[in-house]
Amino acid sequence: MTRLLETTGLSKTFDGLEAVRRVDFRLETGEIRAIIGPNGAGKTTLVSMISGRISPTSGRVLFKGKDVTGLRAWDRVALGIVYTFQVTSIFKNLTVFENVALAAQRRLMTGALSRLTLPQRTLAEHVQAALAQVGLPDAGDRHAGSLPYGHQKLLEVAMALALKPELLILDEPTQGLAPEEIAALSRLIRALSRGVTMLLIEHNMAVVLELATKVTVMDKGDILAEGTPSEVEAHPDVQKVYLGL
Amino acid sequence: MRRPGARAVWALHLAVILLLLGLQVVVPPFHQIMLARIMVLAVYAIGYNVLLGYAGLMSLGHAMLFASGMYATGLTILYFGVGAGAAFGLGVLASAVMATALGLVTLRASRVSFLIVTMMFSQAFYLATLYFNEITMGDQGFIISGQLAPLRAGGREFAFSDPAVKYNLALVVFALCLMLSVWLTRSPIGRVLVGVRENEERTRLLGYNPLSYKLLALIASGTIAGASGSLYTLMFSYVGSSFASILYSIYPLLWTLLGGTGTTLGPLLGTALMTYVVDIASGLTSSYLLLVGATLLILIMWFPAGVMGGIRTRWARWLP
Repeated sequence: MTRLLETTGLSKTFDGLEAVRRVDFRLETGEIRAIIGPNGAGKTTLVSMISGRISPTSGRVLFKGKDVTGLRAWDRVALGIVYTFQVTSIFKNLTVFENVALAAQRRLMTGALSRLTLPQRTLAEHVQAALAQVGLPDAGDRHAGSLPYGHQKLLEVAMALALKPELLILDEPTQGLAPEEIAALSRLIRALSRGVTMLLIEHNMAVVLELATKVTVMDKGDILAEGTPSEVEAHPDVQKVYLGL
Repeated sequence: MRRPGARAVWALHLAVILLLLGLQVVVPPFHQIMLARIMVLAVYAIGYNVLLGYAGLMSLGHAMLFASGMYATGLTILYFGVGAGAAFGLGVLASAVMATALGLVTLRASRVSFLIVTMMFSQAFYLATLYFNEITMGDQGFIISGQLAPLRAGGREFAFSDPAVKYNLALVVFALCLMLSVWLTRSPIGRVLVGVRENEERTRLLGYNPLSYKLLALIASGTIAGASGSLYTLMFSYVGSSFASILYSIYPLLWTLLGGTGTTLGPLLGTALMTYVVDIASGLTSSYLLLVGATLLILIMWFPAGVMGGIRTRWARWLP
């Protein structure tokens, strides 16, 4: 396995409050990594610094050995770091097709000319492929806002896939979903993980235990423990802090 | 394949242009001049709509960009006697430069603050045209018909005073700008602009720098506005400070809102409606603005998204 992502001494302070404290975090290519921890543990802050949504107070982020700390979110997307929102964030007034097309064309816009015009057929093929992957092949013409909530989550994943990520960060993907939708999304994540390294923040322990190859536990801005799901489950500190035992 | 309307969209816009081409032989001379004026001002509205309708930015500073085109064209003709073509090119260039400068400063602000900051810069520009009245002749303005040589093409001369020349010049520039706007809205850039308008944060996380796309929209918008101002000067031979006043920032906003923001044909429709409503109302009563206001209110009640916006949501979803 090769190192895909590494953070060294990554910290974020909000108005004197240390949300993330000197975190050294490593992720290997091909993993499905789950980050768990109580509310306010700093999980979203950590992944937001990895995706570039917010910039760290100190520390560095390395992606494939390259320092990306100074890169803005849109440049990190181009490198293959893709983030999906905790609260579903789609373009509700646009069609499903347009939602995915906006993501798909990012990969196709490689020169000045391609910003001005793109072959519709190629674009449509990319969009269709992403929609088919998440199981929404016929939803293209629907308005995104009219989709049921579970499908909006899937649309968000399709948009992420259309960006051809190498590292896909999913922030609480199963939140608000019905049990059968959670099962379907888990299958999807497992299938996708063959080509994409996954980093997910997840509260649903059943999903974590089933999916994750490795689990990182955070508490109060620090990494408390790290290991396979069974190791972490047995860790006494984790039981105390996270499971409330 | 996903957009079955592609051919229909181009056909519709071509039909509108052909209709305008044909109208000039049918309508009486008075309406010919009215239509020529509507077309050149519709170009201004098209430019405004690129920014408001597609990037979602409401500016009250476009008079500065419109008037930049006017002054660059008018002053170079007045003082240096340059030809109409070169003066038009300079007008377009000047407004592009002004739009870039305006964008680099004002795009740090958003929503209401953007509106106010653009208005402030435009007002400063307006006051500058008054302050340097030795050059610009301020409020009084100046006339360029004496200095302006007629256009020459194919061994024939076309005088700008000829209504047919006015009409067809306006039509050519209008047609070019209309097609440019249709193409822009259907291009990858247009899709990103709509993304920025609808959900800026999401667009950022899809790999686009919103600021650079907004700047691009403002430059395109300002350049088209400047082309309109420059052509207006050539057609009507007059430049004055009033074109840089706040009123000329409000007009394109009204035309665009009335016709339908984010629709390609809305700017033309809005400009035409407004111009004719003002014309008809002022023929009926001296307090015509009251009538104009009432008409606008009624139209907005029926079509809150503008006329074309209403048509799109009710009957023709495929309209760009």
